[in-house]
Amino acid sequence: MENNFIIAGFGGQGVLLAGEVLANAFMLDDKNVTWYPSYGAEMRGGTVNCEIVMNDIEDVSSVNKAETDYIIALNQASFDRFLKKIKKGGWMIANSTLVKELKPRADINYIFAPVSALADKLGNVKMANILSLGVLAKISKLVSVETLEKALDVVIPAHRKHLLPLNIKALKIGYDYDMQIVNI
Amino acid sequence: MTECLTKTGKKVLTKGNYAIANAAVLAGCECYFGYPITPQSEIGEFMSGKMQELKRAYVSAESELAAINMVIGACSTGAKAMTSSSSCAVALMQEALSYAATDELPIVLVSVMRGGPGLGNIYPSQGDYNQATIGGGNGDYKLIVLAPATVQECVDLTYKAFYLAHKYKNPTVLLADGLLGQMMEPVEFGEYPYPEVDNSGWALTGAKNRPARVIRSYAPSADERCEFLNKLYAKYKLIEDNETEWEEINTENADIILVSFGSPARNAKSAMKECRKLGLKVGLLRPITLFPFPSKRIAELANIAKKFISVEINMGQMIRDIKLAVNGKCPVELLNRPVGNPPSVDEIVERVKKESGVL
Repeated sequence: MENNFIIAGFGGQGVLLAGEVLANAFMLDDKNVTWYPSYGAEMRGGTVNCEIVMNDIEDVSSVNKAETDYIIALNQASFDRFLKKIKKGGWMIANSTLVKELKPRADINYIFAPVSALADKLGNVKMANILSLGVLAKISKLVSVETLEKALDVVIPAHRKHLLPLNIKALKIGYDYDMQIVNI
Repeated sequence: MTECLTKTGKKVLTKGNYAIANAAVLAGCECYFGYPITPQSEIGEFMSGKMQELKRAYVSAESELAAINMVIGACSTGAKAMTSSSSCAVALMQEALSYAATDELPIVLVSVMRGGPGLGNIYPSQGDYNQATIGGGNGDYKLIVLAPATVQECVDLTYKAFYLAHKYKNPTVLLADGLLGQMMEPVEFGEYPYPEVDNSGWALTGAKNRPARVIRSYAPSADERCEFLNKLYAKYKLIEDNETEWEEINTENADIILVSFGSPARNAKSAMKECRKLGLKVGLLRPITLFPFPSKRIAELANIAKKFISVEINMGQMIRDIKLAVNGKCPVELLNRPVGNPPSVDEIVERVKKESGVL
């Protein structure tokens, strides 16, 4: 099975980091995984995204995919840009703190979770990215919170380890968020 | 980043650039000279920390020209030395590469391609296939060119680059692209798998207790130069015979063979499999060494296949080598993207369908 994910948002929202955590989690689960960023003349405050391809059949995954199974959109621009890229029956996970709760397509699933607001309540708005991974874990069932915790431990460098407990808390808040999952 | 890469069998998720840098360190690279340029700056960044930690040489050079000439200096002492750069800056190194080739120095150059010509942009590209395999320096020379398609191959082929450079006393290029440089995948580094090459017979190590040695490219005698060049080309022939490497899947009964190297080969591979599911007889040949190019194998396959399609991120450069190998036995088509991400799997499948229809 192959699944691909795009995580997108403003520069500074931790988009690439969230992707790295997710990719590490898949690696820890012995899956083949490829992570690559949108790469160009990026700037702070502009949009940024990365794609993660998880594969447990092929050893080498193709890149530059036409369609995506899961999108995490942390801002409105990302929601608008990637909406059309979702596969039929795929998932849009949107940060409803910054994204309007509209459903322009009828053939995909939507989750609107106010991850920025929830992260703010937790004490650090920067945790919105990790919170959204908790949401993804819940709805996709492709990765567990436990593996994501281990991946956080791998990704967070030694001098930032004091932030690990808060990140794990964010992950759990995302996972436990009472989502109205309306399957299409 | 510098602390978390490992020598053990444990898998780590890392970027192509870091993978190359760490593999160079594990291969025993003693000197790194470089000047930063996107999309390969992580290599210099990693080296700036790691080389000092290991008490090896790291110089942030004042220009690419200086960097490559520092590599020449270090390699003339038999040291394992390297530089890394990208497209428009590798262009600046062409003169030195010609000198290093004729001086038979084991320099390792990592070239992470970006968009060109000129300053171009920092998106992935394969526009420097010709720059690496044909070269922009003067005279008759060849560089060994290795082309990874995965982050694990960035490791494996970096090891190989150091080995081949020293084994054949020949400048060797690891030719990656911006996508591979920035891509993260799980890799295992293991140990440097090749034997150490004895450089004591030629390296400039001080003439104490032995006659002085000279390494120079100046060759005033025409006869001696003829002899030297014939010998140099006999070495290239040996490299062709011994070191040509490629991956081949489903080519035996293929009507259409996709030929692709580096990151687009990943999509060509997936597209080939899709086509097989549709009942189309498609195969893939992925050159891993670009010099030596798998010409012989392509010539053999040209007797069976009805068409070749070269999949590249440039305006069609490798296609020339394919055409030379095919030698008119069947058509060779191009599926390219001028610069940026590789042609998508769907795009390749569509093209194969179209080409199949007219077979």
